[in-house]
Amino acid sequence: MAMLLRTHFKLARTSIKENRGRSFLTCLGIAIGVASIILILSLTGSVSNLVESEVDEIGADLMVVRPSSTKDSVTSIVEELTSANSFQKSSLAIPDTSTIKKIDNVTAAAPVAISTNTVVSEKNSFESVPILGTNLDYIKIEPLPIRYGAFLTETNEENSVVLGHTLSLALFNTINSTVGKMVTIMGEKFMVVGVLDKIDKTINFDNIDYDNAAIMNIESLDKITGSTQIQQINVKAANTDSLQTIKEQATAALTESKHGDTNFTVAYGDEITHPAGSLFSIVSGMLAIVAGISLIVGGIGVMNIMLVSVSERTHEIGVRKAVGASSRNILIQFLFEALILSVLGGVFGLILGYVLAFLLSTITPFSPYISWEIIAVSFLTTLVIGIIFGIYPALKAASKDSIDSLKHYR
Amino acid sequence: MSEKNTLIELKGLTKRYGYGDTESFALKDFDLTIKRGEFIMIMGPSGCGKTTLLDIIGLLDRATRGEYYLNGENVAGISSRRQAKLRAKKIGFVFQNFNLIEDLPIIENVSLPLVYAGYSKTSRLKKASSALKRFHLEEREYYLPYQLSGGQQQRVAIARAIVGSPEIILADEPTGNLDSRGSHIVMEELKAIHKEGNTIIMVTHNPALTVYATRVINMLDGQIDTDVKTVADANLPQPISVRIKKKKYSDVSISIPEDSGKTTKKTKKRKKSRRKN
Repeated sequence: MAMLLRTHFKLARTSIKENRGRSFLTCLGIAIGVASIILILSLTGSVSNLVESEVDEIGADLMVVRPSSTKDSVTSIVEELTSANSFQKSSLAIPDTSTIKKIDNVTAAAPVAISTNTVVSEKNSFESVPILGTNLDYIKIEPLPIRYGAFLTETNEENSVVLGHTLSLALFNTINSTVGKMVTIMGEKFMVVGVLDKIDKTINFDNIDYDNAAIMNIESLDKITGSTQIQQINVKAANTDSLQTIKEQATAALTESKHGDTNFTVAYGDEITHPAGSLFSIVSGMLAIVAGISLIVGGIGVMNIMLVSVSERTHEIGVRKAVGASSRNILIQFLFEALILSVLGGVFGLILGYVLAFLLSTITPFSPYISWEIIAVSFLTTLVIGIIFGIYPALKAASKDSIDSLKHYR
Repeated sequence: MSEKNTLIELKGLTKRYGYGDTESFALKDFDLTIKRGEFIMIMGPSGCGKTTLLDIIGLLDRATRGEYYLNGENVAGISSRRQAKLRAKKIGFVFQNFNLIEDLPIIENVSLPLVYAGYSKTSRLKKASSALKRFHLEEREYYLPYQLSGGQQQRVAIARAIVGSPEIILADEPTGNLDSRGSHIVMEELKAIHKEGNTIIMVTHNPALTVYATRVINMLDGQIDTDVKTVADANLPQPISVRIKKKKYSDVSISIPEDSGKTTKKTKKRKKSRRKN
């Protein structure tokens, strides 16, 4: 049997080689389907990896408080996405930070409030700059590299701003002499006290593109924008063991200060990445369905070409049966051909998918994520596609009558 | 039940096509006993059931009714899988239109029955190569069928029929598509194969070819019209293994192609002289 399989494999190879163009196009159908699946899986994989590594980098002793209660179901996440003003109704307020800071074992607590505004310097004006309103503790939690000057300190807290690397370049065309210059935001003048080093990490759990951001005290931000919506409060614990206690205490303290309103979430560890994770799983799930459809279309292509091949080779089937091939032999022969076409397409797709992911990574912050699971899944998928769409033509070939087939000349 | 020397026994074989008004019989209560070593020519007008008979003997088709004993075993009702296995091991086909697979080099065409009989690749190629050598086609092993003349293609087909040392060779008008020279060569090859003790059943339209036969059957409307034996049963050539068995060296069995040296040489000489012409 093994020997026969090898013969069938060789036969299939010969037949595929003989119809090179046709086989290539068929493979292409499968390849595109597999490539899109690979692309999606590798990108979502890389995104969750980025977020996870960010959390790892900050440390396991990190904890965040976010407005609105935990949303697990898909509908609530979609709801959150579709309601444009989800953060404008933030349930967290500036005093909540100090409430949390009073809890034992909390070493630092910093609010994160982002508002987008135009920043004007003596030379340039720059629109849609994310402005991060926070406090002095922020640098303790997120150790941002300072290139020049300093982060916000107690002495320069008022009307000071720290600029991101790219923003500094955009506003003043330089980074080294920016410190001490003035920028105007919403008519209010701010002095640049520090410039960040290049960070180039747009995806992080704070959701801030540091290179383009301006960082200031949350009270200042509150003053210029009128109402500040806190997206989250970052909390650093003294040690990882105390996280659970802090979570309980923070929940209790906040509930008390808000008069029983529990419209917030305290999260640490893996929970921090949860909202991002579930959002991506929805998006990537939808994309995977689309990719799956294209894979099915590719499979239909395989079936189509196998049906053509079967009818073209009716005479050959007749001859093979006359010299002693059983129906099962013929079935396996054609099934093998379909399988090889489909798996070959899968291999092309794997390569194509990673090439595309790599190309995409050069213009986006994603890096292609390769794991044996993805490779195994795509291989198995193509195998299944090959069997599903190859079995019908193979059965058709096997059921051909040998005498009629022998009369079937080309 | 039957003689040791009987290869095929057909009893009351009937093949019906269609039902009711369109009913017609290709074979009607057909009885035939074929001995090992016979060279049978089946003749008759078109539509008398010659090809149907050959297809049924070759296990490509099934009779509507009747019994078919191959080597004493009733094979009329066996599964199609077993039929395929018997075709691969015991039966060799030669067709009018050669029926070679166009995409395969001739050595692979010849080795095709061995694929399904379960030989390894090297032994397949070895056997196919020696079969082709016998028909002086050793230099054309990797040609494709269309690169050969009709006569050469038919010789490839005969090589394919004998490569697995079958018990019966069935030939359906093997010379029908050939010119007289090609026909002659093919018939000489078949004659040589028959001399080695092979049983050949051949359908033909050409009465001139009956000189090669040991038995000529004329068919009419699915039944035997005349049946003439030109060689006595006792004088039929027998395969070497059978001959040895008769001398009671029952444990020794030697396959046919390797022991056909003498005849092959003769054939070669004959061929060479023919080529010079």
